[in-house]
Amino acid sequence: MLNQLFALTWKDLKLFFKDRGAVTLILIQPLMFILIMSYAMGGLFGADNPIAILVINQDQGQEASRVIKDLATRKGFQVESTWEGRPVDRATAEQLIRQGKRSLALVFPPDFSDLLSQGFTVEKRRTGPVLLIADPASPTQFIEPVAGTLQGLLEKAAFTAMMPRGIDYMFDRWSPQAPLTEREDLKSLLGDRLSGDSAGTGTAAVTIEKIAPAGMRAEKKPDSFQQNVPGYTIYGLFWIVSLLAQSILRERREGTFRRLLAMPIRRGVLLAGKLLSHYLINLVQLLVIFLVALLVMRMPFGHSLLGLIVVSLATAGAATGLGVLVAALARTEAQAGGLTVLILLTLSGIGGSFIPRFVMRPFFRTIGLLTPHAWALDAYQDLLVRGYGFTAVLPSVGVLMGFAALFFLAGLWRFRFD
Amino acid sequence: MPRSLIEIKGLLKRFGDRTVVHNLNLEILEGEVFGLLGPNGAGKSTTISILATLIPPDGGEVTIGGFDLIREPFKIKPLIGVVPQEIALYLPLSPRDNLDFFGRIYGLSGALLRERIDWALDLVKLRERAADPVKTFSGGMMRRLNIAVGLIHRPRLLFMDEPTVGVDPQSRNFIFEHVAQLKAEGMTIIYTTHYMEEAERLCDRVAIMESGEIRALDTPQGLINLLGGGVIHADVAPEAAKGLEQAVQRIPEIRSVSQVNGRFYLETTEATRAVLAFIELCSQLGINIRALEILQPNLEGVFLHLTGKRLRD
Repeated sequence: MLNQLFALTWKDLKLFFKDRGAVTLILIQPLMFILIMSYAMGGLFGADNPIAILVINQDQGQEASRVIKDLATRKGFQVESTWEGRPVDRATAEQLIRQGKRSLALVFPPDFSDLLSQGFTVEKRRTGPVLLIADPASPTQFIEPVAGTLQGLLEKAAFTAMMPRGIDYMFDRWSPQAPLTEREDLKSLLGDRLSGDSAGTGTAAVTIEKIAPAGMRAEKKPDSFQQNVPGYTIYGLFWIVSLLAQSILRERREGTFRRLLAMPIRRGVLLAGKLLSHYLINLVQLLVIFLVALLVMRMPFGHSLLGLIVVSLATAGAATGLGVLVAALARTEAQAGGLTVLILLTLSGIGGSFIPRFVMRPFFRTIGLLTPHAWALDAYQDLLVRGYGFTAVLPSVGVLMGFAALFFLAGLWRFRFD
Repeated sequence: MPRSLIEIKGLLKRFGDRTVVHNLNLEILEGEVFGLLGPNGAGKSTTISILATLIPPDGGEVTIGGFDLIREPFKIKPLIGVVPQEIALYLPLSPRDNLDFFGRIYGLSGALLRERIDWALDLVKLRERAADPVKTFSGGMMRRLNIAVGLIHRPRLLFMDEPTVGVDPQSRNFIFEHVAQLKAEGMTIIYTTHYMEEAERLCDRVAIMESGEIRALDTPQGLINLLGGGVIHADVAPEAAKGLEQAVQRIPEIRSVSQVNGRFYLETTEATRAVLAFIELCSQLGINIRALEILQPNLEGVFLHLTGKRLRD
């Protein structure tokens, strides 16, 4: 039986590598997507789909309220200071980010107003941060617009807060009898002071500090490769559905299944051979993509090789299982092709392969969890971006194996060999 | 005295409400080339599918090589080889790869497998093209490889389903020679074909099936003898038929007469003379002949006579 299984697997692997179209679909397509989309993706987050930002205002004064009000009027941002009817505190915000319900939170410190309105004459100026709490898996192109906007608002707030003191300072120093050279000195000095972001020390009074929620290891911000490699790898992995379904239907159409069934081979072994070969193709595909990402894109691979292997095995299992289901539902290869495109684009879309799920509307964020793509992507990002270890991805691996079993058993129920 | 390899008693197969094989009884002897003829829908493909362990019967008993088809299919499978009508091969792979794969499914390996592959390639004269992709082959070459795959494990019983469809004359002759060679080596072959001359040339016995039943079973010559010197089919007006039926019986070359609604079935001892006499008789009686057909004494004629259909209907 093992010899038969080996023969079936080896035969399908030979057929795969002789089929240039299949090799292109499975190996080249996802790599092209990763490269092109990583370089080209931009302007993703428009005003029609505002970025939700949780705001925790601990400021004792009025300056933070002004900044928050200003931020709320900006297109593309949706400021939330309450959650389920209660004011958001920092612990709630971090929990919401850990749960994936929100991606960003701003914490204005209690001394925010004081920091901005320190006098010009103070020798040793205090500085302090506004905390920008973000999921480490949030892409740079998502975080940077928020940080940039916030930076601008802080500068504006600082300028507004300091201007009265600056004018007082100017009148204190001004004298009509002053010579021209002294006036020029004064202009230069005011220019520095009124710029708002320095206070005699050359450093900003309020800075933005980007941190991860408590419990999430703060890794380096994901670059576009780290964001796109898992997403498009999963997208590419599931194209095995097309390959497997078409292979099964071709064998059915050409009569090779029927011929094999007259031979001393159990149906279970026949199907297992078909699955094993395509499962191995999936693993080869993963290996090639990850090697390219590692060697060409210099993408770091987190801390858990075991976790990566287990997530990959489970994801490939779900993809192969879905292939059996599609082969069982379709009657012809053309039907299988159409059905595969429909299923894969839908699953990839709502599962977050193309755009992160957290920028989707809440309904789509929720139904995304019905796709293996979402679980696989989350598990890969846990490992590659969030810096988690093997045990952290076990729940996702369990769900992926559940998907694999569900697809396979549903497919087996409707499966016909001839 | 040859032993029976296949024994079929009361075989029954239904698809839904439709009975496609009805109370089939048959015995096929070891070393025999057995022809199974019938129009589309006659039940011969279903019968072969059952015998090849592809579908289970709904009733009756079948033993092959002494093993029960229902209880012991995995003891029967190694005994049989199947050459399907379609080219059931992996076209991107080479003949050697195909034979290697199917040989391994039969449990062959190592030196024995290599020896069988070479033997099969020599048998179908494809040794020179053993490494080329099958998709580059002609239809005839593919057919020959299709046969080789069915033989890789040297079965005792070979099913050949329309093996010469779409084959050039040269490859067809190759196939005839292979069948003759395999028969000489003692292999039992069940052969289905639309070509009567193939059945006449290759088969020891022929069964003609229609509507799930065997209509006739004999050697090709035995079946041909059913037609005597040939059979005449003639159509006249039904109201003229009764008088004509009595008159026709007086024609010496006509052996027997049957008539239904003006359609005459005339078995003759010599068809050409009989038809001339029949035409003259109709002319004398003033009966208009609407249609006339002479079935020559061959299997095609037997088939048409028994089923009312041509094989390609």
